[in-house]
Amino acid sequence: MNKRILLVEDEKPLCLLYEEELSKEGYDVTAVTDADAALEALDKDPFDLIVTDIRMPGKDGIELITHIMGRRRDIPIIINTAYQSYKEDFMTWAADAYVVKSSSLDELKAKIRQLLDR
Amino acid sequence: MIEKFDFKSSELERDAPKEMMLLSIISQSFFQPFSLEDNLLVTLTALTSGSGVGFNRAMLFLREGDRLKGEMWLGPGSAQEAGDIWEVLSTPGIGYIEIVEHNRALVRKNEDTLSRRIRDLVYAAGEGNALIPALASCRKEILLVKGAREEPLVDRRFLDIIQVDEFLCIPLLARDEVLGEIVLDNAITRTPIGPGDIKLASLCGLIAGNYIYSAGLHRKLLDMEKTAAMGEMAMFVTHQIRNPIVAIGGFADQLLQPGLPEDKRERNIRIIREEIHRLEHIIFQMGHFLKVSLKEPVYFDPAPVISSVLDSPEVQAKKPAYEMRVELEDGLPRLFCDPTSFGEVLRNLLDNAFDATPPGGRVSVRGYRKTNGWYVLSVRDTGKGITNPDKDRLFKPFFTTKEKGMGLGLPFIKRVMDTCGGQVEVRSRVGGGALFKLYFQYREGE
Ligand SMILES: Nc1ncnc2c1ncn2[C@@H]1O[C@H](COP(=O)(O)OP(=O)(O)O)[C@@H](O)[C@H]1O
Ligand SMILES: [Mg+2]
Repeated sequence: MNKRILLVEDEKPLCLLYEEELSKEGYDVTAVTDADAALEALDKDPFDLIVTDIRMPGKDGIELITHIMGRRRDIPIIINTAYQSYKEDFMTWAADAYVVKSSSLDELKAKIRQLLDR
Repeated sequence: MIEKFDFKSSELERDAPKEMMLLSIISQSFFQPFSLEDNLLVTLTALTSGSGVGFNRAMLFLREGDRLKGEMWLGPGSAQEAGDIWEVLSTPGIGYIEIVEHNRALVRKNEDTLSRRIRDLVYAAGEGNALIPALASCRKEILLVKGAREEPLVDRRFLDIIQVDEFLCIPLLARDEVLGEIVLDNAITRTPIGPGDIKLASLCGLIAGNYIYSAGLHRKLLDMEKTAAMGEMAMFVTHQIRNPIVAIGGFADQLLQPGLPEDKRERNIRIIREEIHRLEHIIFQMGHFLKVSLKEPVYFDPAPVISSVLDSPEVQAKKPAYEMRVELEDGLPRLFCDPTSFGEVLRNLLDNAFDATPPGGRVSVRGYRKTNGWYVLSVRDTGKGITNPDKDRLFKPFFTTKEKGMGLGLPFIKRVMDTCGGQVEVRSRVGGGALFKLYFQYREGE
């Protein structure tokens, strides 16, 4: 069975890009554009990994992680964001990886592979 | 019965006692939107505004670090010029702005010959054994000098320049700190300086000192705000710029891979195009906002600027989808603002109105005179309106509720209106549209 990834990204073009590129890698991708939709999806389906942005309208990525930590500690989380500086925010330590968005998706893909093969 | 007055009513009538006129004009420097130099020049003008009360010439020294440095010297060069200036200043109804403009013209015309003579006068500010004029500042005392040529405490170089026997030195103090000094004389009329003159001049000195002090505080505050805002801004801009770049790079990579179906190729190119548009928009908005200093306000005819904004391709493109109304009261007056900034302000308000209003809604622009001396230009829409918590944040840099917004439009508008001494007012209810009113100082057309 394909591994399942939950993708949280509020920017529509980026959401589309990540969805297509990660599907190509052989994952089942569910893409949502805000934190509330992500929590809803988590209640419905089992996921093997979460990729989330931090700055989003409504609940931000850090709040999302806090919520997830309260429910499911077993799913690895990757933060994928345009900001370098959030690395210092201690809540992001709770994530398993921190990727700064780049026009090459190689780093993101490598981190996903690494975490799912563990 | 309750009667209301706004602060314009603090402008005194011409027949008010001269002393009150003088104090009223000088104290206005605290809330006039001009530079420190312009405002202090008005103070000097007021002090030299004619026979009766007032002096012939006024010289200003400003404190720079531990030195007291000659800055400006205002006064007529001859009895003839004196008459001319006093005539202008006693024109009925002359206000602060007119005095500023008159001064600027005068300084241009004379190439500021008087001021040039004192610019290389520099004294140490803190020394107890200083010579006059610096002695007044060192001792924080008002000094009236008579028979200056016989007085060994007077600096000879200074005496060669001022060439009068009698003059008055007023230190400019605030919080017991010396910020400058004014030297006054009656070189033309040769009238002796009396106790009444001294009282009035010392009061003016106190006001001017406190004005310089508060202007300095204000500048420091702005600098602090700027540094704090810079951090915020760096974060925000990273985010706003990195996202489109990631999208452009990612979709371009897909284009380079063999075997991408035709419909996807087209879609990718379209997305890349859109994201580049977005980058352009971001850079344009940043450029606006970061303009280090805005141009000085002037009185200008707003009609051509308003037309060029309304006729711009971007506004024309939106127009068919909206009910657009423009109502400008007949005989537009001249407004006090930098014309280019004015156009950009109107453009920003219209953009926001269109963004907030679904097609089919109404966007109206109105211009009219208020009875209390303001000209109002308003933009009203029938869009989604603004929530109360958002209202408090509207003018903060980077506050935006739009996916691709920068949140720099309204802060820019605020800055422009501050620069020209105007105001912005917002009225809105959720679901009930929004009304943005701009208040400008104006003058009937020439
Ligand atoms: N006419 C309006 N109706 C409703 N909301 C408005 C209007 N004008 C401004 N706003 C609110 O103020 C915010 C800031 O506006 P602005 O500073 O122009 O930045 P931007 O347009 O980039 O968002 C907007 O995102 C919007 O929420
Ligand atoms: Mg805007």
